[in-house]
Amino acid sequence: MASRGGALITATRGARRWLLRRSLSLATGVAVAVLAVVFVFPAAIVFAEAVLVDGTLSAAPIRGVLTDPFYVGALAEIFARPLAVGEHLRGLAGWARSGFPVPTFGLIGFTAYQALLSTVASVALGLPGAYVLARFEFPGRDLLRSLTILPFVLPGIMVAVGFFAMFSAGGPFNRLLGLVGLGPIDILFSLEVILLAHAFYNAPLVARLATAAWESVDARTVETARSLGASRRRAFLDVIVPQIAPAVLAGAVLTFVFTFRTFPIVLALGGLELATVEVWIYSRIRQLDLAGAAALAVVETAIAVAVLAIYLRFEARRYGAGRTPTPSERTPLVPSLRALVQPSRLAILAYGLVVAVVFVGPIASMIVESITGPSGLTLRYYAFLIDRQAEGAAFQVKPWPAVRNSLLFAGATLAIAVPTGVVVAVRRVRGGRGGVLLDALATAPLAVSGIVLGVGLLRGLVFGVPLPGGFRLQVTGVAAIVAAHAAAAYPFVVRNAAPAVGGVDRSLVESARSLGASRARALLDVELPLAIAGVVAGAAFAAAISIGEFNSTVILAEGGDAYTMPVAVERYLGDRTLGPATAMGTVLLAVTSASFVVIERVGGRY
Amino acid sequence: MKRRQYLATVGGAAGIGLSGCIASPGSSGSDEGTLTVATYDSFVESQSSLDAPATWLKDRFESEHEDVTIEWTNPDSGLNHYVQRAREGVEFDADVYLGVNVDDLIRADEQLEDSLFQDLDRGSVGNADSVKSELEFDPEGRLLPYDTGYISLVYDEGEVSGPETFDQLLDPAYEGTLLAQNAQQSDPGQAFLLWTINQFGEDGYLDYWRDLQDNDVRILGSWWDSYSAYSEGERPMVVSYSTDQVYANRDGLDMSRHQLGFLEDQGYANPEGMGVFADSERSELAHEFFDFVLSPAAQGQIATLNVQFPATTDADLNEEFDQYAHEPPETVFYGYEDLQGNLDGWVEDWAREIAG
Repeated sequence: MASRGGALITATRGARRWLLRRSLSLATGVAVAVLAVVFVFPAAIVFAEAVLVDGTLSAAPIRGVLTDPFYVGALAEIFARPLAVGEHLRGLAGWARSGFPVPTFGLIGFTAYQALLSTVASVALGLPGAYVLARFEFPGRDLLRSLTILPFVLPGIMVAVGFFAMFSAGGPFNRLLGLVGLGPIDILFSLEVILLAHAFYNAPLVARLATAAWESVDARTVETARSLGASRRRAFLDVIVPQIAPAVLAGAVLTFVFTFRTFPIVLALGGLELATVEVWIYSRIRQLDLAGAAALAVVETAIAVAVLAIYLRFEARRYGAGRTPTPSERTPLVPSLRALVQPSRLAILAYGLVVAVVFVGPIASMIVESITGPSGLTLRYYAFLIDRQAEGAAFQVKPWPAVRNSLLFAGATLAIAVPTGVVVAVRRVRGGRGGVLLDALATAPLAVSGIVLGVGLLRGLVFGVPLPGGFRLQVTGVAAIVAAHAAAAYPFVVRNAAPAVGGVDRSLVESARSLGASRARALLDVELPLAIAGVVAGAAFAAAISIGEFNSTVILAEGGDAYTMPVAVERYLGDRTLGPATAMGTVLLAVTSASFVVIERVGGRY
Repeated sequence: MKRRQYLATVGGAAGIGLSGCIASPGSSGSDEGTLTVATYDSFVESQSSLDAPATWLKDRFESEHEDVTIEWTNPDSGLNHYVQRAREGVEFDADVYLGVNVDDLIRADEQLEDSLFQDLDRGSVGNADSVKSELEFDPEGRLLPYDTGYISLVYDEGEVSGPETFDQLLDPAYEGTLLAQNAQQSDPGQAFLLWTINQFGEDGYLDYWRDLQDNDVRILGSWWDSYSAYSEGERPMVVSYSTDQVYANRDGLDMSRHQLGFLEDQGYANPEGMGVFADSERSELAHEFFDFVLSPAAQGQIATLNVQFPATTDADLNEEFDQYAHEPPETVFYGYEDLQGNLDGWVEDWAREIAG
């Protein structure tokens, strides 16, 4: 008996050891499988339409986009006759003779232009936030840091409502300007307000990535520089900037790619004059012109992938610095009342004002809408939510299932995307060419139009693949939704975790391995605790992505009961009042805030 | 129609599987007397204390037909959802679609070799006789109109005086006042565009829009985008529906902000139709349901709850609707033949003119 028990224990131990040893490969396998099913396959189905005409390979659809001046402006001539070099040179000379008028590059050119400006705006608004969060201590700092990415989960229409209310002629922004004798400024329906809305979504991303990097700047390196006689400014430029630059660049690239395929917000706040490529893709999809949509999407994706690829190559050279950071002490934000008049504190105060207008303002305006009826303050829209929960018909969307599903999907997304994403990050940092490929695969979903991917999911997974005998293999429902959320979350987990993991001294891992720890054990016991800030930030993003996701959720839910909070917000639009939708939007904000705080608290205990 | 499904779990490595499901072809055995009706979101969701139209129709029809159940479904992409399924040969379990616009129907016919809808036996839908003939939009009679909206301007009379003609909108007095919608994605946006084509012709409408742009018209995305901006007071005029005052009255709003502008004494009609999917085995029940939807009582309720005009001449309208919903003196409407082969080009040319 004893020996049999012993054998069992040995077998169990063996299995556990095997699992642990294999866990890295296993996690990699899960990541690849998830991406293959809910990203590569559906995207391929749609992209195939761009290169196949009646079943044979054809460049015609993509050529059609590239030679259309509406899409590419001045480049159309060049794409139409790439070999007529002489003529193009003559054209260039003529352009020079007429005094270099600003050329236009069509819809695609404008899309890239606004994405570039949005990136600049997001970095400009996000970076000071990172500085304040990383370098200063003040009450509520942790909470504020947790809530930075809240804008991420807000449905476009809610952001539009918030911006309309905040920046309208008689809104709080102009009243504020009036107080100091300025304004009124009408920024709605302009490129500026689109940039501001893009910054609303993406500056928090930049801030969050940069905060994590700034917090892990090694204080000793700064001290060394200072002790060698470097000025404060010199030390900042030579020591701190190189350490946070990769994170800022990551944030900037993600922002560019994100805003390059921006959709509903551009038309809601700007208008059709400021349309982007994605607007045309959406129109094609509505016309069921799949080939047209696919051709545009291929060009759009190619540009985004090119930007990502350049970045990933650049980033590869930055890893492996291998320090174990001694974080700097944070200075109190308000050490004394007199300190408030110092230039640095005044600058922070001014920045706080900007944050109040751009970030807090629209969100607060949306919440105010939810408690404002035709005749003043009211709770009737919340009463509507309760009523609907209690008495709604089975075919109607109810608030509680939406909350429950959102949390369930977010939890499951975390369970998949965080461990596997961290493994991808480790492979990326330590693993050479295979790691780069894996990272590229995990980042690619960011570059593909959500609308196009949605069609691919519908045709590939919901409609399914025909099997012999007239059967079809279909993949829908909860598991498919979670997989789609995980695929969308990978880029954020990897981008947040990779710098943190890369910052861990490689020799620590090697010592652990030489003392007999498996690779997985070393990851769990050495790298993870040291890189936890990045991993937690990645987890918060993963939750935000899952909670905010709309396109694939409605498609994969297939009209079933698997709807989430953003879906409920959308469904409660439709009457003339903003009330029910903004009330549901406020619930979405509250639930999401709570889950961010929980994630940070749990992560912080590591 | 309801397909049997075999559920299988493909074990996922992380312990969470992808549920693959294998649907079998053409197996029947559905519940007796269940009619699955597909429609758009706002028909099933109500944002006020009133019932959704879907709730009322279901309750009343089921109480009149003992063994019948009405099930509602509202796919996110509307009728396109079913067009795509039919094109790929994938079955679906909806019997009826409620809320087909003429452009939806044209698209379905263009995309599919066989019709998405079956022919109706109008003789068995007694109430179909009272449908206003000018709302019929399917030359083959597969669809029955059940309600209609009229697109008009809604304006704030405290800010602007009501415009009476299209040309007036080009006056300096109306500079920077109008909000419209992207015709690529919005029904009222498309209707307003077609209205201008009716006014200025195929060769003149783009010139008119250039002038409108010079007068700072704003073309936002969805009806919601533009109506929210209007509600926030951002502009004093918006392209919307002529039932606007019904909502304003219910919410006790200031009517001066909900005045209707029928340009050229016209409004553009946007009738919605219902039809039975070709593969439905519930044809008889569907015809009964349609007869019920067109009954005076149901037409009155649809007017109240969906806030659209009835499609029939003998609807039991309540006083509120009579008082606050306004029909334009003259109706503009492009039918199936006018739009077929033209619509996508008109919209594309227009959108390129605006965005280019």
